[in-house]
Amino acid sequence: MTIDKKNKKNGSATVVVNAPLNNRGRLGREIKRHTSVYLLLLIPLIYYIIFKYVPIWNAQIAFKDFQARRGVLGSAWIGLQNFSDFINSFYFWELLRNTVFYSVGKIIISLPLSILLAIAIYECTRPVLRKIVQTLAYLPHFLSWVIMYGILLSLLAPADGVLNDIIRLCGGTPIDFLSNVSAFPWVVLISDAWKEMGWSAIIFIAALMGIDVSLFEAAMVEGANSWQRIRYITLPAIRPVIVTVLLLKIGTILDAGFDQIYMLYSPPVYSVADIIDTWVYRQGLLQFEFGLATAVGLFKGVFGMILMLISNKLVSRMNEGSSIF
Amino acid sequence: MKKLAIALFALALLVSPVFANGATETAAASSDEPVTIEVWYGAAITEAGPIPEDWVGYDILLEEHNINLILTALPSNESDQDVRIQAAGAANDLPDLFMVRRPVLTNLVKQGLVAPVDDYYALMPHRTEVMYDENAIRMTTIDGESFGFASPGAIVRNEGLLIRKDWLDNLGLEVPTTTEELREVLRAFTFDDPDGNGRDDTWGYGAFVESDTTINGYPGSRFFPLLGAFDVAGLWSFDSDHLGLNVYRPEFYDAMAYIRSLISEGLVDPNWLSYRKDDFRAAWKQGRFGVMKEQNAAFAAEANYAPFDANFPDGEWIVIDAITGPDGYASIGAYDQNYRIYAISQAAVDAGKAEKICELLEWMSSDEGYLLCGWGQEGINYVLDDNGIPTAGDLGDMAFSGTQGQVYTQLRNMVFYNSDTELASRYPTYTTATSGKTMSALTVLREMQEKEWTPAIGSGMMPTPNADVSRYYEQSLAEFLSGQRELTPETWQAFLDQFNRIGGQAWNEQGIAYAQENGLVY
Amino acid sequence: MADNEMKLQAEAVPATDGKKKKKEKVHLKPNLHNKTVRPTTADRVFQIIVDVFMVFILLVIVVPVWSTITLSFRPNTYIGTYLEGMFLPPWDWSIDAYKALLGNDGFALAFFNSLKILVGGVACALFLTVPMAYVMSVKTLPGRKILSTIVIIPYVFNVGMIPSYLLVTSIGLQNHLAAVFLPGAISTYNLIIMRQFFDGIPGELKESARIDGCSEIQVLMKIILPLSKAIVMTIGLYYGVSFWNNFFNAMLYISDNYLYPLPILLRNILMASGMNEYVEVNAFGNAPVQAIKAASVFLSAIPMVIAYPFIQKYFTKGTLLGSVKG
Repeated sequence: MTIDKKNKKNGSATVVVNAPLNNRGRLGREIKRHTSVYLLLLIPLIYYIIFKYVPIWNAQIAFKDFQARRGVLGSAWIGLQNFSDFINSFYFWELLRNTVFYSVGKIIISLPLSILLAIAIYECTRPVLRKIVQTLAYLPHFLSWVIMYGILLSLLAPADGVLNDIIRLCGGTPIDFLSNVSAFPWVVLISDAWKEMGWSAIIFIAALMGIDVSLFEAAMVEGANSWQRIRYITLPAIRPVIVTVLLLKIGTILDAGFDQIYMLYSPPVYSVADIIDTWVYRQGLLQFEFGLATAVGLFKGVFGMILMLISNKLVSRMNEGSSIF
Repeated sequence: MKKLAIALFALALLVSPVFANGATETAAASSDEPVTIEVWYGAAITEAGPIPEDWVGYDILLEEHNINLILTALPSNESDQDVRIQAAGAANDLPDLFMVRRPVLTNLVKQGLVAPVDDYYALMPHRTEVMYDENAIRMTTIDGESFGFASPGAIVRNEGLLIRKDWLDNLGLEVPTTTEELREVLRAFTFDDPDGNGRDDTWGYGAFVESDTTINGYPGSRFFPLLGAFDVAGLWSFDSDHLGLNVYRPEFYDAMAYIRSLISEGLVDPNWLSYRKDDFRAAWKQGRFGVMKEQNAAFAAEANYAPFDANFPDGEWIVIDAITGPDGYASIGAYDQNYRIYAISQAAVDAGKAEKICELLEWMSSDEGYLLCGWGQEGINYVLDDNGIPTAGDLGDMAFSGTQGQVYTQLRNMVFYNSDTELASRYPTYTTATSGKTMSALTVLREMQEKEWTPAIGSGMMPTPNADVSRYYEQSLAEFLSGQRELTPETWQAFLDQFNRIGGQAWNEQGIAYAQENGLVY
Repeated sequence: MADNEMKLQAEAVPATDGKKKKKEKVHLKPNLHNKTVRPTTADRVFQIIVDVFMVFILLVIVVPVWSTITLSFRPNTYIGTYLEGMFLPPWDWSIDAYKALLGNDGFALAFFNSLKILVGGVACALFLTVPMAYVMSVKTLPGRKILSTIVIIPYVFNVGMIPSYLLVTSIGLQNHLAAVFLPGAISTYNLIIMRQFFDGIPGELKESARIDGCSEIQVLMKIILPLSKAIVMTIGLYYGVSFWNNFFNAMLYISDNYLYPLPILLRNILMASGMNEYVEVNAFGNAPVQAIKAASVFLSAIPMVIAYPFIQKYFTKGTLLGSVKG
């Protein structure tokens, strides 16, 4: 695996080899040696079983005609009916397309922006500016999408939005950003970036704090300029965190942000706005089709799992030290 | 190592049935202990707090009726309520008595979670007399049995077409009566600076999308006066000549073409697609448009009219007659009886609580319960005037309409039935602060009710389509109106064909059959 | 690239040896750029770009936030566009919205409930997450991969509302404030991020502690945690905010109106107009609805806005490796 490099880097004498344990006795010894570690795991693992795996067990209603009075176990099996209902539904391909578009779009726009912001905050030499930005940047995270809709309306409304006022001043025609199919996707992506950028940056700032500052001074002595320091020290140092975040986001690629879309969309833009989760909400949760809703959850899981396994493989092949498994 | 994973998973499987089947049975209460009744109610004022713990109603019920009442306010919007109730339903964990919308009720009935109540009306004679008439019982009837009690909701025909009289006067225009006259007025309101402020900041018609899949078909009730001029207000038509979804009628196309032409000319406030109710209501108070459809109290009640009055002391809205279309049709909109359904869970009946629930409801409709739930305590939250109408008097914040006292009226929804007393109490006559006009939401209401309306009684019971069909319907109409899809007879026909294919036809046929079976056709 | 990195680091280590004491001081100072070397043109360009970017971000954030702030102070009788509203002079501001919210009986109660959820939730979440993340970072642990798999499966397979609802009701957790935070007391995302940071702590530190006879709990408490203040604080903040803002669990699981946390109250305020039939009743006196909405945001964000600067204190450069060497 990937540990060796790091240990060597620190000049460690204890080289840990994670070779396959082909010897039963040795495995037993290893387990025994780690008894106290397992002990630490006890409570979290019980938590996992109850709060994470019991719901997964309950998710068998995806394969059942769920009847509340009969309960999870008593309901009749119907095989893959719920899955095929979803896959054969009228808007399936469009939903899939929109969902992937938004979640990939958000990764492409928000992730680099939050990394840039983190680095800028780290590198900024004006303490006042840095403090203000660092404190304010995460404020938008607190705005719920209900509120965000109000803000977006004040900026984008066709009649009196700030942006359209400016467009009119420049002699242009106002655009109905929130109900125009070509503008709406950008509204979603940019408003998400705006809201979450500062929040996601926190984790990268935390990672940057771990960099040994002496490296920079040494680099300066060596004559490396700021750009080179970013490239050879800063970025490599936070790369493992970036990769982990990316992998985790890939695992939930079919979650494109229900709250946001649900609050922002409206009939004229359904064709570019409706995502799997909003569909499930309308067709599943509001209509007592809980088997269907759960089936879609599993479908999303399979999809995400496959993508995650593939990218995890790629990452561990690149020897990044940040693969999840 | 895989074995370990398997073992863990097996452990999880073994443990989980314990959790999965944990539905608990409430033991039937013995005769001397108070019966606990859990009620999920729709709060009258959702943003205000719950009923205080020291509410005298609790004591009265406990001492005189041996009922331990537990009240929970449902979430503040319909979708949240639906989710909340259906989740509880899925866990077979519904409260004893709960407010529910008819589509959700249908789902719960299919699951056998709601008890039929036909036998219980007799247990509460007074309440049944004032609240549960034939129509109300029909509202909760599913396959021949009544599931839940439907009490009267919002008063019918409480909206009207309003126009800025002062704008008309400024421009020397008459009140429009036909669609073409309306177009002229909207044009003048949009382009001729009706408020004389020298800025191009006004529009003719103001609206937002307020639609559902029972009565307010897209583009929703705020456009009803325009649709009504073509006789297609309302999602369904119950007229025997053209029973079914209005969208299939040629008049609907004409109405769409008319509305589209207003929109493309810029006569409708372009924010209509983005406004929510709050924004719309803030907009007319800021004098942004001159024609709208609004609810009587949202327009004329003191607190709602005050900002407009302060902004435009010379401003004046008047209620006008429905606009007449080219074929002579005119209607403010389609209306249905509004009900709030309170259903009893099957679990409550199984636990033997049904009689006590009826006793509770009957008490609520008694003189004592009615006044207590509707207005609070006499002398503290209300005083009776000479006509026996509860008024706020000089009780200040503790009055039923004051900020402290209003929480005592949260159960209003369970007792009000739109009696004259209620209306007189809710809509007192007052003098506006700035301009000194005499206003009354009740007068406005009566005026609105006299106008031309299209009956669509029973819309609330009609079958609802699946989410894809309703999405297709709304999306297509929205695209036509916003100009994304050109509106021609060919594109319209293409829309109808596709609509039929994905389930619109089935929905229409199902609805027609339902209307015929249940005597909704006139 | 990797080679270069190694080279730089390899050279960096000897360069800092023997200057430990001096280093310590630098670490306490957040600004490390005490220039020993004259900045080059590239450095200056870099700094300008950083400043420009920061100012840009500042503007992008401040403008909408400012428009929300002014909205919250907007008087009932305001007429004009949003743009004009942003330049409304403070003497025309109205505090009706804040008065109405703070005067709302439910507000203090909801705020207090939310605080309980916040404190209980963060304590519980860290109590569960930290040991698990630590165990997952023990590289020699047999079954580590299985553990990762166990952790990842529920993350990817988000089975949705009903299966979780069935669980919570069956263990009788409804109507407890814990129902708001327990289902999310381990967030896999946070767990894996935390493990990622623990992974970065040199293994020999732990080894030497174990050789000294420390138990695993002692290793965690005495070696790992002091080195990981920034990440523990960050993850604590992530948890805290997610509990503080959690509306959905509270709506589903809490039916006692006296246990409602702030997000429910806010939702009731934000969504009120959609339902209210008694439009003649005005729960908020004179304040315009839009101002109420805007004001509610700021009131609800207060605890987190207060907390963040304290957390930022732990964000000192070079915390981790600096202490390793010290």
